Amino acid sequence: MSNYKDFKDFYEKQLLSDLKLLDRDRKKVDRRVILIFVIALVIILIEGKLIPSEIGPWKGIIQFITGIAGFILISLSSKKYRLNFKTKIIGKITGFVDESLTYMPEGSVSKAEFLKSAIFQHSCDSYKGEDHIQGKIDKTAIEFSEIVAKYKTTSGTGSKRKEHYTTYFKGIFFVADFNKHFKTYTLVLPDTAEKLFGKFGQKLQSMTLTRGELIKLEDPEFEKEFCVYGNDQVESRYILSTSLMRRILEFKKKWNTKVYLSFVDSKVYIAIWLKKNLFETRLFKTIVDYSFIEENVKYLVLLIGIVEDLNLNTRIWTKE
Amino acid sequence: MIYAIVIAAVLLLFIVVLYNSLVRKKNDVENAFASIDAMLKKRYDLIPNLVETVKEYMKHEKSLLTELTELRTKAISGDIAEDDRVELENKIVKSMAGLMVAVENYPDLKANQNFLQLQGSWNEVEEQISAARRAFNAAVTTYNNGVETFPSNIMAGIMNYKRRRLFEIPEEERQNVKAKELFNK
Repeated sequence: MSNYKDFKDFYEKQLLSDLKLLDRDRKKVDRRVILIFVIALVIILIEGKLIPSEIGPWKGIIQFITGIAGFILISLSSKKYRLNFKTKIIGKITGFVDESLTYMPEGSVSKAEFLKSAIFQHSCDSYKGEDHIQGKIDKTAIEFSEIVAKYKTTSGTGSKRKEHYTTYFKGIFFVADFNKHFKTYTLVLPDTAEKLFGKFGQKLQSMTLTRGELIKLEDPEFEKEFCVYGNDQVESRYILSTSLMRRILEFKKKWNTKVYLSFVDSKVYIAIWLKKNLFETRLFKTIVDYSFIEENVKYLVLLIGIVEDLNLNTRIWTKE
Repeated sequence: MIYAIVIAAVLLLFIVVLYNSLVRKKNDVENAFASIDAMLKKRYDLIPNLVETVKEYMKHEKSLLTELTELRTKAISGDIAEDDRVELENKIVKSMAGLMVAVENYPDLKANQNFLQLQGSWNEVEEQISAARRAFNAAVTTYNNGVETFPSNIMAGIMNYKRRRLFEIPEEERQNVKAKELFNK
């Protein structure tokens, strides 16, 4: 990985000219967005005047549709600019952070991999992802992307039937090759029951049979933060060595958000909840701004750092 | 009358639950102990391969290799008491650590693909043994809690279940970890 301190230099030599060009596009997009917004607003007002109120709720609906159409137009008219920013700027930054990395702005970790991790039990009725990054850090193959996963619930019947989507995961989904072979699965989930109910919570955990056996580990701090399920008491402990438990704790502190891990098929899957949408450009404010660009690098370094954080490059076992 | 029956039924149910949970905990301990055995067996299986590979290179460590082979033969013979067994295991680990340190003097051996493979397997087995022990200790702790806390301690007293000892990691083994680190530099 390139030296993080060199980034200022890289920014000036490699990114600045592109950023200036892109910023010109941004200004154009800004003007277009304002124009669309104003036109949509005027149409809505005219509709308000011209459409007779007798048609009841239809008036509101027509106005609402006009508003939605305006938003879609805004998003479409800025799409090219947003994509350009990603391929030109984020693409270069990933190359700077590590040469082996490839960046696909519209790609994502496959739904099959996401489901294989078995971290979430909800059915995955809507699955969207972007900003897919893939590569090999020393000996460890990794990939990650942003993912939003939702499940569907329905209420009412017949014409009153409504579908409702609830987000159960939004954030970064990270997959890496693990440094040990294993055949069983192990889940490391944030511990909510034990935090709330203490010892009684542990009893509750051991009753959730669908997740597999509860694995009680000897590190009290780790036990407070996470609860672990698996289908082999010994192999789960083989994966979660005392040092890995410490490392996972440190990793969780670093991100300070909900993190889920699962170990399946000699791979480690990590789901990190994040409200922020990473690797995006912005409107109505210049993007020729070092700290704005630097933030992307910080996140990338943090993400690539997972390999180091979990010591995945240590290959003293039979897995190469 | 009806109250008496209800109380008796609840009490009976309570006793059944206590009894079953204690039996389950005891079985978990035995199961965990068996898995340590399985992992140790893996370790024994590795020794002859390792000895065979390093024999060609090592000129001055013949006695170390003979010792290792003898210890293995003793360990798999099966007719040893529980306490002697622990001691024997410790000896194996100690002489393995000695062997791994000695490898440092043979650069050719250190580069041998076959040896590297075996060394990886050895590290793997060591970590698996340690995991099996931790699983055993976790099972024993749950069992001991059952035996010593109220009200299951009364049931345990009737069933003659006694507290069991944890598997402590001997001093030599902790040093072995250090030797491993040195070796992997």
